[in-house]
Amino acid sequence: MFGKKRVAIVGAGVTLFRRNLKETGKELSYEAAKTALEVAGLELRDIKSVVMGSAPDAFDGVHMKGEYLADGAGAYHKPYTRVFVGGGTGVFTPLAGWWHVASGQFDTCLVVCEEKMSSCYPHPQYAFTTIFDPILERPIGMNLIWIFALEMNRYMHKHNIKKEDIALVSVKNKRNALDNPIAQLAANITVEDVLNSEIMAWPVQRLDVSPTSDGAAAVVLASEDVAKEVTDNPVWIDGVGWCIDSTHWTDRDLYYPDYVECAAKMAYKMAGIKNPPKEIDLAEPYDPFDYKELHHMEGLLLCKKGEAPKLTREGVTQRDGDLPTCPSGGLLGCGNPIAAAGLMKVCEIFWQLRGEAGKRQIPGDPRTGVAQAWGDLMQYGSVIVLRR
Amino acid sequence: MSLEKITNPFNARHWIGHMEADYVYTLGVAGERFFKEIKENGKIMGAKCQKCNITYVPPRMYCEKCFEKLKEWVDIGKKGVVHTFTIATIDINGEKLEKPTIYALIKFDGTCGGIIHKIDETDTVYIGMEVEAVLKPSNERKASINDIAYFKPAK
Ligand SMILES: [Zn+2]
Repeated sequence: MFGKKRVAIVGAGVTLFRRNLKETGKELSYEAAKTALEVAGLELRDIKSVVMGSAPDAFDGVHMKGEYLADGAGAYHKPYTRVFVGGGTGVFTPLAGWWHVASGQFDTCLVVCEEKMSSCYPHPQYAFTTIFDPILERPIGMNLIWIFALEMNRYMHKHNIKKEDIALVSVKNKRNALDNPIAQLAANITVEDVLNSEIMAWPVQRLDVSPTSDGAAAVVLASEDVAKEVTDNPVWIDGVGWCIDSTHWTDRDLYYPDYVECAAKMAYKMAGIKNPPKEIDLAEPYDPFDYKELHHMEGLLLCKKGEAPKLTREGVTQRDGDLPTCPSGGLLGCGNPIAAAGLMKVCEIFWQLRGEAGKRQIPGDPRTGVAQAWGDLMQYGSVIVLRR
Repeated sequence: MSLEKITNPFNARHWIGHMEADYVYTLGVAGERFFKEIKENGKIMGAKCQKCNITYVPPRMYCEKCFEKLKEWVDIGKKGVVHTFTIATIDINGEKLEKPTIYALIKFDGTCGGIIHKIDETDTVYIGMEVEAVLKPSNERKASINDIAYFKPAK
């Protein structure tokens, strides 16, 4: 037993993901939180604690975004905190919610993630220019796309991976998103479309990348006794893991995400998982870029190092394959409102395990799923294992 | 669904605001010495943790692995190897760059870390390529990472 109480997800909600939405960040938070509460059959007064996750303040353009978003997250007169670990926030926030309930301190916790990137005009890329080291990196004129290009190139070089194989991830996820009503960039595209799209920073091309988005997501967590009272279909949080590698990203080799492996091992140990590819029925690894899904499958120990492109080529990661990966459509297909995108992945596992994913439902009888997000400056991993 | 998509944000009722703030960043204890060595002596230095036997580049005040304060500084020379690279073709606004720019992570033999910088004086670049730092003339150096003008193929 890890923690004093076993913790379940009993409700989930996600808004539309779009480039521009009329709703403010608070209103988006409200929409997602309200839906999650309705699914759980609970009211705001049943919620004993609230955790909010949101990425850099500069996106919404409000310093102290946690305080600004509090009412939309349902935090009025409640124990409340905002957590932030960059792109890893969306999966880290339910982990923070987990310890609120697992500690025995609270019976319930409302977990909300929000991002309104369109407020940063003309493009949220501007907010990314100030995430780098001000002495060593910003004077060079660092751009976020470039450092991912550096990582992608290193990964391709190390395992001799072709761009064609990486492009298959984008093709798969955008197609999966056709069945997701929230999706921003669902499409039937081909490998050629990806390879012919605009080169941004070689080897990164336009269709290798997820878009920027507005959106929110929420889940309701409950202790075992409350969960069994309110639902016949609780989804248990059986594993949690998080880890940061060196803050100096230049210290690492970049071909492999050690920080994901470290977080995954922590979560698998807690969940009693000894053979991840065998014991995990579906995965939602973080996919802001197509190569990152592959990178993260390897870090999650779902295959050997360098083997993820082969599994993708063989169809193993399709919805009807042995290891459905990003059945939601992922960030490449649904959009990437950073923190909300990570929590959307947790919501997708929740729906899949309850058999409520509609047209996206994977066949068989999935019992165990893993979701993962990746953040800070390419060195943070957050992992959650869910079971029916 | 009540959520409404907008193609032009100015078509929604809105208010335009700024988050104005300017900053002065100190180079820090290790940074000041690192850039002074480049500016005054034309040397690229690393800092060695004697406990872990790791030489960090750029040099740091402390070892993040064991938390020792780093006292030993070593000249690591100007030659390194391209660990990975990208060729940037568009700028931050999505506009085409006049000339594609090569950015690389350059690692130095026997050290931990590396320097991210431009590669110039070449049309080809590959992982494993040996390169050397080209410093600006000493009277143009300002104790900044840009005192290294770029890296070029090593002779
Ligand atoms: Zn040390």
